[in-house]
Amino acid sequence: MGSAFVVTWLSASLRLAGPVLLAALGETFAEQSGVLNVGIEGTMLLGALASFLASYYTGMIWIGLLVAVLVGIVANIFLAWMYVSVRASQVVAGLVFNVLALGIASTVYRRAMGNSALPEGIAMFHSVHIPFVSDLPLIGPVLFGQTILFYLTLMLAFVAHFVLFRTNFGLALRASGENPAAADSAGVSVSRMRYAGTLISGAAAGMAGGYLVLAQVGLFRESIVSGQGFIALGIVIFGRWNPLKAVVAAMVFGACDALQLSLQIFGTSVPPQLLLALPYAVTILAISGLFGGKAIQPAALMSPYMKG
Amino acid sequence: MARFFERRLTPADSPLAILTTTTAAFLAAMLVTAFLFLSYGASPLQAYFALFHEPFATLRGFGYSLVRASPLALIAFGTIVSWRSGFSYLGFEGCFVIGAAATGWLALLTAPGARIGPLPFFLFLAFAILFGFLAGGAWAGLVGLVRVRLGGNEVLISLMSNYVAIFILQYLVSGPLRAPGSLPETPLLPRSTWLPFILPGTRAHAGILIAIVAAGLVWMLLQKMPLGYELIVTGFNQSAACYAGIDVGRRLVLAAFCAGGLGALAGMVEVLGSQHRLMDGISGGVGFVGIIVALLARLNPLAVVPTALLYGGMSVGADAMQRRVSIPSSITFILQSLAVLLVLAFDALRYYKIDPSAFWRREPQTAVEQVSK
Repeated sequence: MGSAFVVTWLSASLRLAGPVLLAALGETFAEQSGVLNVGIEGTMLLGALASFLASYYTGMIWIGLLVAVLVGIVANIFLAWMYVSVRASQVVAGLVFNVLALGIASTVYRRAMGNSALPEGIAMFHSVHIPFVSDLPLIGPVLFGQTILFYLTLMLAFVAHFVLFRTNFGLALRASGENPAAADSAGVSVSRMRYAGTLISGAAAGMAGGYLVLAQVGLFRESIVSGQGFIALGIVIFGRWNPLKAVVAAMVFGACDALQLSLQIFGTSVPPQLLLALPYAVTILAISGLFGGKAIQPAALMSPYMKG
Repeated sequence: MARFFERRLTPADSPLAILTTTTAAFLAAMLVTAFLFLSYGASPLQAYFALFHEPFATLRGFGYSLVRASPLALIAFGTIVSWRSGFSYLGFEGCFVIGAAATGWLALLTAPGARIGPLPFFLFLAFAILFGFLAGGAWAGLVGLVRVRLGGNEVLISLMSNYVAIFILQYLVSGPLRAPGSLPETPLLPRSTWLPFILPGTRAHAGILIAIVAAGLVWMLLQKMPLGYELIVTGFNQSAACYAGIDVGRRLVLAAFCAGGLGALAGMVEVLGSQHRLMDGISGGVGFVGIIVALLARLNPLAVVPTALLYGGMSVGADAMQRRVSIPSSITFILQSLAVLLVLAFDALRYYKIDPSAFWRREPQTAVEQVSK
């Protein structure tokens, strides 16, 4: 059982880490600009539904992914307006938006698919197969047997890191989250930066929803996200608002999540609910402050900025 | 020329201004939802009639509205206590489940022949309230302790703790407490532990009385007691509270404890009053709708009871609407959450003064003009 178990576990870890990592990368931009976007949970759900419907009707999975990104952006224009222009409490607006998204998703899904008892499946991204390397023992199936979306997400982590820490845009964004008054007097439009951060997180969360449908589940149900958006928020904290560290944090989460799947396949006497609760419990522990972290969060996180 | 819209320095906060913007926001949300009804080919008037007639104009439906309103109100009180103390607790779904599990378990222990054995109802109820409150309070108080001692973010930790609580209940009903049968649920609770029905011919139970008593107690705590005053000061400005000699950390943990306890009572009311057994999925989002109720009532405990009745009634009406006009009941989720979002958005309007006389009155605009006149 030894090595077979390890291969199943590790490759499932990476597979499950993908969508939350993608959502966490986007959320990093929102939080660095000073916006805690709790609404990514609902955005992921809307993205999942959009990608499902789009690829169901067109038969093209890339179209599904694109539509998920667009829906994520549109939904977050509304959220950004609430956060930045209305200056509503970010936690409240995001939380209530999640309820709204649940209402929209289940209404639209029923409208589109009727009340058929059997959920309809769609085509999915397949795992890539690279000659030679994919056949290597252990690391072959784990590292080189993932879907293309996984490699895309990894690439985006490096892009995100570069944009945040090596460009003028990233500097202005981080300044808006660290000290908006100073950024403002240096000529940065704080509200524009916060809109940008929120929209980036919306695009990523929508795409993460599409990722869930198109590469993991293959169908839509209302419980498809079930807290993964919130876990992405935890990964941002655990990853210290840094995209590359978020990769590591997401892998830890994926490993906990995959443990339950793989142990069930190989049979165990541990109650499954205990293992299902593990990723959430580990996330709580990771963001509890036991390992520090309060000192480095963007100083103006969650505080709306009013000019003048 | 005076301007029709004039910006105020501080928002208008008279009760009239607040009531006007809240009503306007609710009407706007209903207008948006009306278009959704139209898309189903249903007349919005008919749909709204179906939505509000059954829960508020029929006795049976009103009974169900009371059943749905009680847990919502209790969760809203929990929200008020914690949020007004500056503790953004969002774990009421979990507290609800913990409270349901704790009191359901206690009720099962009082079955004839079980560990404790039958108790007189009021003795049992006192134990159940105490045990449920302590369990939920400990569950949420732990989050408060983490925030105070370690500096963790209570928003996310409480969101995560919801899922942990739900899995604990899943474990209980599919393992130790499971009744023989195909479904993961406990046996029916002993009849002697059920909350009494209070309106003949309906399912309305004494839970609503518990909620009303809680409303009074929470109002007393926040408005009349020094402790409540300290909590509110802590919520307004932690450093000011600190200078005034208030032990902020201790107050935050206490607020979290009370909030969790109230959330757990919501679970107790649901199990002992309405479900009469424990099962998976017992909460179904009520923890979040309860927060929405508190927000719509603007964190005022006395406004919570009517608001909870409105939202509980809407969820009853939604089922009626689904049966009669065949519009999915999930549409009310849209209406309920959109109303709160628009209330938040319309709050920005209170920064403006509307002056209709601007149309017919001419005034010198600047001091210079005034002098030159």
